[in-house]
Amino acid sequence: MSGRTRPVAVIAAGVATPLGLDLDSYWSALCTGVDGISGIERFPVDDLRVGRGGEIKKLRASRHGPLPRSRASALLTIAADDLCARAALDAEPARIAVVVGTALGGVEEGERALADGGARAAAASLYDAPAHALARRVRARGPVLTVSTACASGATALGIGADLLDADAADLVVAGGYDALCRFVMRGFDALRSLTRERVRPFDRRRSGLLLGEAAGLVLLARDADAPRARLGRVLGYASSSDGSHIAAPHPEGAGLEHAVCGALGAAGVGRDAIDFVSAHGTGTPLNDKIESAVLRRVLGPRAGAVPVNSIKGALGHTMGAAATLEAIMCLLGSRDGVVPGTLGFEEPDPACELDVCGTTRSARTRVSLSTSLGFGGCNAALVLEGAP
Amino acid sequence: MTRVLGVGLLTGWGDGVAALPDDARRAAGGRPIVPLATPELSGDRFRRATRECLLGVAAVAAALRESGVDRAAVAGPQTALVYVTAAAYGASNKNFILATSRSAARTEGGPPYFPYTAPSALPAEVAIEFGLTGGYVILVGGAVATVDALWQASRLLAAGRATMALVLAVETFAECADLWARGRWTTPQPLVEAAACAVLSGDGEDVAYGPGEVSTLETLAAQRAGETLACAPLIGLALARAGAMPSARVTGSWRGRRAQIAVGT
Repeated sequence: MSGRTRPVAVIAAGVATPLGLDLDSYWSALCTGVDGISGIERFPVDDLRVGRGGEIKKLRASRHGPLPRSRASALLTIAADDLCARAALDAEPARIAVVVGTALGGVEEGERALADGGARAAAASLYDAPAHALARRVRARGPVLTVSTACASGATALGIGADLLDADAADLVVAGGYDALCRFVMRGFDALRSLTRERVRPFDRRRSGLLLGEAAGLVLLARDADAPRARLGRVLGYASSSDGSHIAAPHPEGAGLEHAVCGALGAAGVGRDAIDFVSAHGTGTPLNDKIESAVLRRVLGPRAGAVPVNSIKGALGHTMGAAATLEAIMCLLGSRDGVVPGTLGFEEPDPACELDVCGTTRSARTRVSLSTSLGFGGCNAALVLEGAP
Repeated sequence: MTRVLGVGLLTGWGDGVAALPDDARRAAGGRPIVPLATPELSGDRFRRATRECLLGVAAVAAALRESGVDRAAVAGPQTALVYVTAAAYGASNKNFILATSRSAARTEGGPPYFPYTAPSALPAEVAIEFGLTGGYVILVGGAVATVDALWQASRLLAAGRATMALVLAVETFAECADLWARGRWTTPQPLVEAAACAVLSGDGEDVAYGPGEVSTLETLAAQRAGETLACAPLIGLALARAGAMPSARVTGSWRGRRAQIAVGT
């Protein structure tokens, strides 16, 4: 096997986000600059410094029965309903795999289990429980994998999904990521002082931190040769790396992220000159955006100032395990429609982030996209994606 | 093929295969959980690290000793790290939830440092300690996820993205004994805490990954070690090596799915 990855087709996608509970409303809201951030209402936040985030206010009932009690599983169910409405899972159940990424799994059920002592909540608090609920929902009886590379999980899941197809361990893969907002994670980021009291401003000179969001994003993957012509695009390459430098902060020079990006380009068999667009991790924290900008400038070289870059975390908040999948979907939809959604909150460029950041939605032909992700524990991942011709 | 250079093994029974009893159930004497002592690691860097992080670091150190591989040889981008656990994040999650609940009394020193609640904390400590900057995958699940982890490591070797790969599994139960007791009908007992790491090399090809019937090594690992969830396939590899088997088919099962992989030992 060579280092180059065989491309896999992305047949369809489904989402549940604060911007909309289906792909069309998500995409429309991204392109028109809708702000998905609001005050959190589902659980108490009055004792926290920051009580805002990308919260989904009302979940839509599933066409196939009641939503699971676990919010994480409910988000996945809604995204799966959306996905299944767009493409048939036309394979033997034993040949359908599920690979989903998450930073939090069913941790909210853990909060519930410790509060009320229930056995069901205790079982549901295991981080892989929502993936198995999803597998039951889509009637997948092949491999079911839960990835937890923190906030890079949604990218890692797509990469492993592509690997399963390449290894002929499945014929279809439902891959993606999810995470639900809950007190556990709000309390954690609040304690770290990572949350901004202002708006999220990726790459902006005034950026002061991130806000969290909740979402699920799923794609249906198939081997390129087996996939129908009607598709969103292809995953050309993927790579991951570890920083090996700090438990929470990124490597100061972004060495790990650069290694992942170069690995993904190598796996895709494309050079840096082929990159038409970058979907950045772009959390809006002073450190992340500065380091990521430096990495992208090194990777893109002389074209760094000319390749459009965006971050959708200003609109959604940081959706953790879902983020990279939603960003990959955005790349493919942007390629289809010839647009790059704007970076909500980006108004004043930061000289420390010298990139062509799209503040507003712009027209652009973006065939090949690079999507970057970082997470706690020095997790890095990069995807190279190609829109459908 | 993927070749196992060595397996580092720490369990509630002691270090290595030699410490495993012939019959874990009998040896447990009715105890639902057989705990594993926290290794003592020196260095200020570990002052905030959780017990499971220390177990992970100790298991990798043991694996390198077993393999005859220097620390320097694994440092850098050519060594991949694939970590898997079903539940080792449970203790830190529980501590954080209880310490930050609205009714919690202020505890001395405050709640645990939040990044340590993530499953990614343990492999991060391992990566920092051993200078690992290569391919990086973290899977959550029981024994079948470890088979998936061995396959992922093989993929990285086969693609030339790694010349060596560490597959690490850690399971702790003691801090969440009350929660495990609620689901005791779903998980065989005794639950035995364990940390295991396999050092892999080779071309990563022809590993026969896929569905498979229960292997002799799976049965033997359960009989001798007890229920170790994600650590079980690596214990199977350690048993295969101890028995001088030239190759091993290991299987793992979790939530109704069983998978297999074949590696050289």
